[in-house]
Amino acid sequence: MFDTFMSELSLFWNVLGSTLTITNMFVVTAATVMGIIVGAIPGLTATMALALLINLTYGMNLTIAIAFLLGVYVGAVMGGCNAAIMVNIPGTPSSAATALDGFVLAKQGKGGLALGTGIVASFFGMLVSIVMLIFLSPFIYKIALRFGQWEYFLLAVFGIMICGNLSTGKDPIKGWIVGFLGFFVTLIGLEKVYAYPRFTFGSLDLMGGISLIPALIGVFGISEVLFVLQEKVPYKIEGKVGRVIPEWKTIKAVLPTAIRSGLIGVGIGAVPGAGEDIGAWVAYDIGKRRSKHPELYGKGSFEGLAAAETANNAVVGGAMIPMLTLAVPGSPPAAMFLAAIWLHGVRPGPMLPVEHPGFLYMIAIMLLCATFAMLIWGLILAKPMAKILKVKREILMPIIVPLTVIGAYAGNVRGFDITVMLIFGLIGYVLRKLDYPMAPLVLGIILGDMADISFRQALMQSRGSLLPLMTRPIGIILMVAIILIAYSGIKRAVEFSREQRKIIELKEAGRL
Amino acid sequence: MDDTKKEAAPEEVKEVRKNGAADLIMGALLIIFGIYVAYTALNMRVYTTFLSAPGFFPLILGVVFIILGAMMVASAIKRKGFAQVKVVFAKSNLISFVKHHEFIRVIILVGMMAIFIFGLIGRIHFGIATSIYLFANFMYLKSTSWWKAIIISVVAALMIVLAFTRFFNIPLP
Repeated sequence: MFDTFMSELSLFWNVLGSTLTITNMFVVTAATVMGIIVGAIPGLTATMALALLINLTYGMNLTIAIAFLLGVYVGAVMGGCNAAIMVNIPGTPSSAATALDGFVLAKQGKGGLALGTGIVASFFGMLVSIVMLIFLSPFIYKIALRFGQWEYFLLAVFGIMICGNLSTGKDPIKGWIVGFLGFFVTLIGLEKVYAYPRFTFGSLDLMGGISLIPALIGVFGISEVLFVLQEKVPYKIEGKVGRVIPEWKTIKAVLPTAIRSGLIGVGIGAVPGAGEDIGAWVAYDIGKRRSKHPELYGKGSFEGLAAAETANNAVVGGAMIPMLTLAVPGSPPAAMFLAAIWLHGVRPGPMLPVEHPGFLYMIAIMLLCATFAMLIWGLILAKPMAKILKVKREILMPIIVPLTVIGAYAGNVRGFDITVMLIFGLIGYVLRKLDYPMAPLVLGIILGDMADISFRQALMQSRGSLLPLMTRPIGIILMVAIILIAYSGIKRAVEFSREQRKIIELKEAGRL
Repeated sequence: MDDTKKEAAPEEVKEVRKNGAADLIMGALLIIFGIYVAYTALNMRVYTTFLSAPGFFPLILGVVFIILGAMMVASAIKRKGFAQVKVVFAKSNLISFVKHHEFIRVIILVGMMAIFIFGLIGRIHFGIATSIYLFANFMYLKSTSWWKAIIISVVAALMIVLAFTRFFNIPLP
């Protein structure tokens, strides 16, 4: 035990020494600032930014690529609070809960203090999540080592089911549909075991399959551009920013909420595909229930603001836990990050500590550096950000389109990927208009291959019998979880259907 | 409270109607798609055993699509989906949908993207194609005055080209 601890400590020091270089610090700081700016602009999300930047990291070495992407990720999640507080339009979906109290505070002339509290809360959230990432991951690595093909298949299905359940408001069936459609996307092309062409219609381009990155850029880039530009929504900055550094008494008052919300954020982040926005809403809801002053929530409560902001940033570290240990991303931006490290030849999963010793520590150290950069630059940029928010979205969003084209093309240098991106962008837009969530689709595209290969290999190993598979403890736990999620989801869908029917009946009876 | 509810109600009813019709259509399409996937999967080659065959997983997925589609259709029918489809697809409704500013805006934006991707890229230099695309967008969206639109589109295209070719060493389409 002591020996293990000492060897881990020595590994940590080694990684610390090799990670804390001037170049890495410069890259992580610059990327965090870029992330803060991107996150602050309504319509530009952390997921979109990461999707566009993945291919840029192709020429970088692994450490710099990680510093760059993590900086953008951390900065963008926090940056969303700027627009949420100052203009009541969340810069990213993760800061939608922040707007509830933040915008009220801005209207009261406390916009700067709200921003400062949000930034400090995000800092706490990141610290909690980094600590949990370091201490929880080794345990999950140990459990993951006991995973066989059957468990990996069940894990992929579990990911889609729980993500579908959490990411849709009232109708989880929609989440499951897009998740399994994501699985289908990965079936297109030459199949991995026998190189048999599936759903290719004789097209040579489709034989190569649908590339992950162009599909993701389409879903999060093109569809977002269309969504933002589909109608003109003018917004204006409310009140003056004023003092930014929060008072000590405010920090002291929100600290217990921040710690609790941080833990909630980590928990939600560790759930496959759940994401920053769900983390923020759950923490806000629990914060309101446990608060001594729930009546102030939504009316300019610093506590409510801190609950949402701590949780959405805590999801960042939480989402890294299943991503690094099981190769199952905890949020859509984490899915982009997973795609990026795949590009660099890193295969997350239980063998990661053997193949890349110290990788976990490198991620934790980079996250910590990005966290400090986020705190310092977030506070410095709080006032100038008001000017950046004045830049019209009608100018910014069209510029995104050429960037998505380059991002989609650069990976394989083939024009077909640009077509894939455009088609997925349109599919994403239509699905979003019909209230289908995008997170399960991404998770499905990421996990589809694993589900297909693991399922068939597990059945081959058991010679076609399900009986031996049913006796594996982790498999049983996952199966029970899937059944429970399916049961609760169907129950919710039935209730939703009843509610809707009632509204129509009332309308027909002339009572609405 | 009651007043608010009364005011919000027509919008809510409209939304419910739209959802019912959309779910019914999507559910039916999903069933058809599921049947196609399962049928195609059954016709895929079996090498050693059916369990390891390329079509086994798509077959399961096809069945899942049929089940999920059936659940959506059942739910939509309970919400009087058939009647709502008639309302949604009524001639007047379709005309107002096609004439809706949001629909027109999206169609034009997608059209400009398609011209940029399929008509300009590869035929002229990426930087020039980007400038033209951006200028057309700024003009349509009335983002700024025409001369500012020219400056922004040229500068933005130049910066993109320089950043990707010189700084990131990434090939342009």
